[in-house]
Amino acid sequence: MSKVTLTIDGLDVEAEKETTILRAALDNDIYIPHLCYHPELSPSGICRLCMVNADGEVVMSCQTPVDQGMVVKTKDPEIDRLRRTSIEILVANHHASCRGCPGSGPCALQKIMAYIRIDRKRVRRLRLPEEDLPKDQSNPYFDYDPNHCVLCNICVQTCEKIQGALHVIGRGIRTQIAFYGNNADCQSCMECVARCPVGALTAKESRSTHG
Amino acid sequence: MSDEFGEAALKNILVFYEGKRSELIPILQEAQGINGWLPREVMQLIADFLHINEGEVHSVASFYNQFRLMPLGRKMVTVCRGTACHIRGAPQILVDIGQSLRLKEGETSPDLEYTLESVACIGCCALAPVVKVNHKIHGEMTRERAVTLFPKLSE
Repeated sequence: MSKVTLTIDGLDVEAEKETTILRAALDNDIYIPHLCYHPELSPSGICRLCMVNADGEVVMSCQTPVDQGMVVKTKDPEIDRLRRTSIEILVANHHASCRGCPGSGPCALQKIMAYIRIDRKRVRRLRLPEEDLPKDQSNPYFDYDPNHCVLCNICVQTCEKIQGALHVIGRGIRTQIAFYGNNADCQSCMECVARCPVGALTAKESRSTHG
Repeated sequence: MSDEFGEAALKNILVFYEGKRSELIPILQEAQGINGWLPREVMQLIADFLHINEGEVHSVASFYNQFRLMPLGRKMVTVCRGTACHIRGAPQILVDIGQSLRLKEGETSPDLEYTLESVACIGCCALAPVVKVNHKIHGEMTRERAVTLFPKLSE
């Protein structure tokens, strides 16, 4: 495949022609916040966090292919303004504190919040969800905690290719991920748990100790 | 074999379809006509017919407000909370009716007699505030009259 050269944040970067801006940036150790992107899945463009300025236009970097001579800025005031609202809404609906969260540490949301410097006080101006939602423990191998879920769909897309046992249910503020079908439908590959960017899907206690 | 969920009726519906994924929503709409709601057994049969996972059927059905995943009461009580009804007291009427029926919004009584719902606008704002019981519209509702809509309860 032929290569193209583009500029990301003033750095000249070489990338394969068909690749996306996000992938080119990540391959060159340039971080662009993202939640729903996974290298092995097709980009879904759900989280709206990977927006960048490419040749003067705001685009989703996970869905925009690179172009010869393209000039990309990953930070500018307009992007910060647009992206901040998206992430604040996500944080507001993510009604869980990081303390004691099984995802804490490698959590993609924590990383993004630190990168964008989310002001928790500003988030409180939004209408926060009132109740803690019950955990779904129906799967024999893992638990689902809707309070921690950011609805990135990585688990659903992952399972779609393997077994199709995970689905999005509901709509709007009531949207959740649900495990469906017989227990036999889940092959316990734990790929969904491994790919969960936050602490929403966790292996059942007894399982994790046995590795 | 018992036909509690209208399996025979569902089969009569399915003969008109080819079994393509894109037929899911029209099938769900017709299937809901059998019982007035979509029991899990019905969704399972539809999933088998379309060769998709039951979860996918549920995923679609749970997205649309028109699909009901719980049985409905015989009396469907709909309180309009459109703008006109809202400013003329619909929120309080909804609370009052909820208290007399002992239901929260969206719930159905255990004896399947009543379902309480609110709706964005029924379209007869001149009669605000409006309460609909099944297909009958009760306009210019007041808190006092609202509770008399359900005479059986006061017996």
